[in-house]
This record gives sequence, C-alpha cells and structure tokens, in this order.
Amino acid sequence: MKYWISGGLIAMALTGGIALADSADSEWAPETFTLSNGMDVVVLPDHRAPVVTHMVWYKVGAVDEDPGKSGIAHLFEHVMFKETDDLEDGEFDSTISRLGGQHNAFTSWDYTAYYQRVAKQHLGKMMELEAERMTDLIIDEDPEGSFITERDVVREERRQRIDNNPGVILQEKVLAEFWEGHPYEITVIGRMEEVEALTPQDGIDFYQKYYSPENAILVVAGDVTGEEVRALAEQHYGAIEPSGLVDGTRMWTDVPPLTETQEIVHSDPKVRQPVWYRYYNGTSQKRDRDFALALDVGLDVLGGGNTSLLYVALVEEQKVAVNAGTFAWTGLHDNGPAVIYATPSPGVSMEELEAAVTAELAKQLAAGFSDADVVRVRNSKAASSIYARDSQQSMANQFGSWLAIGGEIEDLLTYPEDVRAVSTEDALAAARQVFAEGNHYIEALLLPEDGEL
Amino acid sequence: MRISTLFGGAALALLLSACAPTAIDGGADEPNSEATGLDVQIHDGEFATIQQFTTPGGVSVWLVEEPSIPILSLRMAWQAGETTDPEGQEGLTNAMVYHMNEGAGDLEAQAFFKRMEELNMSFACGATNESTYCNASMLTDNVGDSFEMIALAFAEPRFDDGPFERFKREQEVSLQTRETNARYLASRARAAALYPDHAYARETSAESLAAITQDGMRAQKDKLMVQEGMLVTAVGAISPEELAPLIDQAVAGLPATSETSETEDVVLAAAAADPIVIDLPQPQSLVTFAAPAMKREDPDFYTAVVLNYTFGGGGFESRLMKDLRVEKGLTYGVYTQVSSEDKIQLWSGGGQTKNESAGEFIAGVKANMAQMVAEGMTEEELSAAKAYLTGSYPLGFDSNAKIAANMMGVRLDGLPVDFFDKRNAMVEAVTLEDVNRVAADYLNPDNFTFIIVGQPQGLDG
Repeated sequence: MKYWISGGLIAMALTGGIALADSADSEWAPETFTLSNGMDVVVLPDHRAPVVTHMVWYKVGAVDEDPGKSGIAHLFEHVMFKETDDLEDGEFDSTISRLGGQHNAFTSWDYTAYYQRVAKQHLGKMMELEAERMTDLIIDEDPEGSFITERDVVREERRQRIDNNPGVILQEKVLAEFWEGHPYEITVIGRMEEVEALTPQDGIDFYQKYYSPENAILVVAGDVTGEEVRALAEQHYGAIEPSGLVDGTRMWTDVPPLTETQEIVHSDPKVRQPVWYRYYNGTSQKRDRDFALALDVGLDVLGGGNTSLLYVALVEEQKVAVNAGTFAWTGLHDNGPAVIYATPSPGVSMEELEAAVTAELAKQLAAGFSDADVVRVRNSKAASSIYARDSQQSMANQFGSWLAIGGEIEDLLTYPEDVRAVSTEDALAAARQVFAEGNHYIEALLLPEDGEL
Repeated sequence: MRISTLFGGAALALLLSACAPTAIDGGADEPNSEATGLDVQIHDGEFATIQQFTTPGGVSVWLVEEPSIPILSLRMAWQAGETTDPEGQEGLTNAMVYHMNEGAGDLEAQAFFKRMEELNMSFACGATNESTYCNASMLTDNVGDSFEMIALAFAEPRFDDGPFERFKREQEVSLQTRETNARYLASRARAAALYPDHAYARETSAESLAAITQDGMRAQKDKLMVQEGMLVTAVGAISPEELAPLIDQAVAGLPATSETSETEDVVLAAAAADPIVIDLPQPQSLVTFAAPAMKREDPDFYTAVVLNYTFGGGGFESRLMKDLRVEKGLTYGVYTQVSSEDKIQLWSGGGQTKNESAGEFIAGVKANMAQMVAEGMTEEELSAAKAYLTGSYPLGFDSNAKIAANMMGVRLDGLPVDFFDKRNAMVEAVTLEDVNRVAADYLNPDNFTFIIVGQPQGLDG
C-alpha cells in the first residue's frame, strides 16, 4: 500500500524518475489451503468493494475427451446449469439472479471453470449451489429433453463463433494441422457431427469421471479473508466425499513438431481484407517457463504492437501492410504456436507482402534487439501484473487457469521479477529459435472467394 | 449519505476530529486554511465516496480516492462528438481522436508511444455521436510524467503525415470490410429505415475521407476539446490537492471555449411492415429489431428498465431466452435493451439463428411481445427483476476503472452526484400497473422494425 506524503507532487515532478511497476505494492499476497477431500482453495483478497468473485475450476477440458466424443466437455458445461436433486431446471440461475449475482462458465482444452459474481454476504449460498451441482446433477435422458435442446444450442453457438466467421474457419483448419496427433487438434466446441451425436449417457459418464472435489480448485477473489473462506468452504464443500475415480491423469502429451511445411488457404465471399499468417512450433509456460517468458518478450519486441520492429518497418516505413506482428500462445499446458501475421495495404499482393515480411523478419533477427526495446517490453509486461489487480475477475482467472494446468502460485507472484530477468540475448535467442530459417511452418491465407484482391 | 464542504487538507483533519469528543470549533472557515484554494464537496455515497471540486483552472472533477492499488484511472470528456463533423467530411472527429496519441510536441508518434510504454501508462481518445473522450491509466508513482504526456497531447498534437496516411489506409480497408460485417450492415439498414435523413445516418465514405485534412482535424479538436464544459472523473491513490494542479497543467493548452451546434432529436419513421433482409452468405442469420423508447428523464424510464429485464434483458431469466434458447434451442443468445440517449431512444434487440430457423425465431420474438402486451408481467417476475437490478448494482463498483466509467456516464447524462444512491429506489418504485401499461405502449410487435442479415428462410409465415 502506498501513501502520499505532503508535497509529494512537487518532489515527483522534480525527480521525474520512472517507477518500477512493483515498487509500491509488495504486501499483497493470496492465501491457499486444501480441504480434507483434496479440493484446493485460493483466496485473493480485494477489500475495495463488498463484492466477491467465486470460481470453481475443474481439472478437465476438451483435451480429455474420448475419441469421437469431441465437444462433450463444453456441452457438459452447459448441462451443469440444468436440474439437480434440489434445484429445478432454471432454479440455479434464478436463485443467483435474485441475489443480484452474475454468473457464467467457460471451457478450454485444459480446464472447465464456473463462476459467480455477487455481493459478499451471498458467498455461502454460491458455494451451496456449486456443491449441489458438483454432486447431485440430474442429466435429462428424455430424447426430447433438455440435454438434447442444449445440444442444439451448442450447434448454434458453433455457427455463431466459428462457421459464420471466415477468419475463425481458417484458424480451425490451421490448428487441426498444427496439432495433428495431439488432442488440441480438435477445437474446444467440438466437431459439428460429433456434437450432434452426443447422448445423455455421454454426459453421465463424463460427470461421474471428472466432477469431484479432488479434481476441483476453488478460487475466491474479493472482499473476504482466508479465514472466512475456509469456514464457508469447509461447510459447503468439505463434506463432499472424493469420488475416488479421478486418478489425476490428463490426456496432455508432447506436441509433435511440424515435419513439413504446408499452405492452407481459405477463401470466402465475406472476406474483404486478406490476411497472411505463418504458424511455427512454439512453447508453453508450463513446460518451459524460462523459454516461454523469453519468447513472449522477444516476440513483443519483434512484433507486439505499434512500436515493434516489424510494425515500424512494414506498416510505418514500407507501408506494405496495415498491420503486422508476432505472438505466441504460451498459456496452454502443451506447446502452442508462435505466429507471424500481416494484412496487406490496399493494392499490395500477397506475394509482395510475404516477400516483404520474410525479408524484414530475417533482417531484424540478424541485426538483433536493442537493450532499450527489451527493457521497455519487460517493464510493460511486469506492469500488467499491477493493472490486473484492478479486476477481481482477471485475478481469479489468472490464478485459476495457471493452477488448473498444474502451475505453482509462486510463479505468478514472481512473474514481474522473472520477466524483468529476461536478457536481450535470451529474448533474441528465443525469437531466432522459433523462426529459424529451415524450420517447418504452416502458411495460412485468408482470401476473398475469387482469390483476387 | 452526507455532503459537506471542505477546504483543503486541514478540513479533512476536521472531519475526522469531528467524531472525537474533544472536537473543537475552528478551522473550516479560516481563510488561511485555503492554501490550495480548493473547495471540495464530499459525497459519502453508498457505493463510493465522491469528492467533487473545480480546479483553479476551472475544470470540474469527480474523484474517488482509492489507496489500495497504485494505479490511477482517469476519464475526460466533452459533450459534443461526431455529429459535429461538417457535411461531406464524415469521419473527421474519428480521424482527429485517432491522432491524439500519435505524437505531440517534439515527440513523433513512435517516440510518444515508446514514452507511454516506458511510463506504463495508456492514453487514447475516442468519440460517440454526442461525446468526445480521452481515457488514461497510469501508475501513481508516475502520475507527474504521465500527466505531462497528456498535457503535451492536448496542447501540441502533431497530426503528422505518417500517422495520417496510415489512418487513411486503415479506413480504406475498413470501408471494404464493413460491407460483409453483419452488425454493421444491420445498423446501417436500421438507420436507413428509421432515420434516413438524420445526422446519425451519416457515415464515412471514400469521398468524405478524401475531404479530411490535417488542418481540418486541428480545427475539429479546437472545437470539441475545450476547457469549458470539460468533465473529469478519476479513481486512484491521489488526493484532490494533488490531482487539481495536474489536471490544470494537462488542459492548459486547450482553448477556453468554442461554439458547437446541438443535434436535433431523432424522429423515428414508422416501423417497416415486413422484415428487411440484407443478403450475406453465411450459415446463420443475424436478426435485429428496434422500436421507439422513451427519454432518460421520462417517468417511465425505470419501468422500461424493469420490464426489459424480464422480457429480454435478463439473460437466462428473460422470457426470450427461456423460450428461444432453453425451450426451443433456436439460438445461443437473444437479448433486448433500452437505450435512452439524449437525441435517440430505442428499444432494440437481436440474436443469431441458423438461416433455416430465421422465420421461426422472428415469430417467437413477436409472440413473446404480443403475450407481454396482452397479459403483462407477473408479480413474481416483477419482484425477481427488481431483486436482480438492485442486488447486482454493487458489482459495477468493484474496480477503479469501472467506478471512473460509471461516474463519467452519470456526468455525461447530466445526472446528480447522488444518482448512484437513489437509483435502486427508482427501480423499487416501479409497480406492476406501470410495467403492464408500458408493455402495452412500447412492446407491440407492430412497433418494431425487423432487420435480418444472412440468407434467412421461412419469413413468409
């Protein structure tokens, strides 16, 4: 916590020094403990407003689906909002809404998370509701019942998220190739024909296998103390018996590196702005944290935003692109791609764009990074930890998602200093490694229907 | 709730000491306690303690002091926006705000961006039809340097050739991509159907872009961003005495005042009898609908808010979601909203459904409207709506950024500082009789113009 001293304004204006992002706030810390049934608990205190964010993260996601059952993790997340022993269909939602709560859920390859945001005095009720559907969900086996209706809803969700959007259709095709042979190759929402064939029995099997306290992490952020959360959690979750069915085995596996270079084109009459991408083998923070942090810094220097080397060269100076950059998916449990992309300026062909981008990439990687650029990027990343503190939800998401893939809390707490420890050489070496000449990649082109610009 | 007038830091001590039995009379009215000359009104509200003051330079500020995180969220706004674009220069205000962080003083765009990154601050401006705004966030350790950047941007924005050319390239692309953007196509069709001749139907075109110049942007900035009428809200670890001079420094380079003309109220055309279809090759149709609503100050406004929750605004608690998603599986989501802006008031909504079921989706929306008009809401629905709308209100005050944004919303709407405290009572005061009368007046399906983007089927039914 930081206090202003009298006349601080003047002193500050004179010194003009740039503060390091974590210099003012070293006292804050989360609390963690584990219930006797194996359920992990994390408390993230934030006493600014009498509000809490309550989340339950299950260590199951699309990665764990059986062959032919793609989409069950996500469809099941929808089903979790239906009937239980004590709650009629719709009562879960109406109970929370009448307490002024907001709630939802999301599914990833690596985890499934449910949350409520509510005034602090209702935290116990939220736990009661989550505990109820952890143990006593009723899956509707009626062939015209709510499981089947929800399946139709998910098919509409898939149309809305993917099938209506040419850019997302292309991404789905590319990722299927990028992760071929790994469970991530299927998009989280599942293949349309497999979703269509999911049955209530699939839901029952999934529920019994994965929904259990020893497979769950409770995250509470907001106006509570560790003691308050412990008492409520013991009361509502503590009595739930572990199912004994969860052996903690996840379907994570090494991502096979690309063994050939290929091109994937998606043309669509709705495309009015072509986009050029290359997907290379990347890494993950979970599997190789040091390398992932170095890569994140390196790709920000190279192509993260409008002060990056590629953006300045291709957009500002050569004017061949209206946007260009690089980024890596390092937040999944298993390795994600490192991506370079550009969108051409009006009148620039994809061939001209590709030539300009690849030439500039080679040039910048050969020339190396300046310390000033690396320091600026590192500090921005460190400062993001401070700005994240302004949102209960982003704090809860940060901690929950990292723990759900088996990460250590310490890694989140030391992130600012760890990212500042990335040297110019580390950042450059990481970028050079993923984009090395001779590496295989998937080139992806989003084009108008006639393939012309 | 309590409002008191305080004079600088000395009076803060007085406020604290007033609780103590030994409190003595003195201090508050002494002229020499006004070293900073700042007259701070403290509104100790239910959701936030808001300090109101006018800087020595004349800028009106609402501040919430929040010491627990070392960041400051800052919002600045003016009550005139894109509608002031001269005829034939549509997009001028948008162009101007784009350039506000693209270099100032001696710092060209790249140097300006890099300096902001070094300070870990953000600063960017934007505009709506009726407002122009700039938002900033910064680390409290860097507020002095960060405000210097804002001051420089306000006083000496460069409007350089490089960013201007880039802006035009981006706009050229955007003129293309918008033609296959379902939401854009729906909003354009709505304007064409309901207010084709109003300023809100004007849009950027290749011709209007070509007419925009750097001098034009400078003039537009001097018209829209002036000291007079500027609104500021801030939340963070900073006191009024510290913030006031920073703001005065920031706005020193802005013109004192300017003339802008007021936008005329939108007069909506009669609803289209048949759905308007915009062809777009995709598997799902976007269905939107809109009808007249009431002004913000209309006594029925909160009745409409309550009714809207039950009809289509309340997520899974709304009738439309329960029917079209949960019962029929026709959509991933359907919603309605009441948007009561100063010059245009619409009750609108929408959702997406596969092309094959577009007709069924629209029929379902209309049937729910007709049922609400004919039968109204139940007591149970009314109490559920009030419970959610009042109970969820504190969720909007759990972050610096949200509080700063909510205060600015209140200020732009011309609402009083105790609005947050009184709002729930206005929701509670709504009666079933009110709701059912407003439903009959506003939710008649014939009031609504339906617009569908996609390749919808089954519209004949």
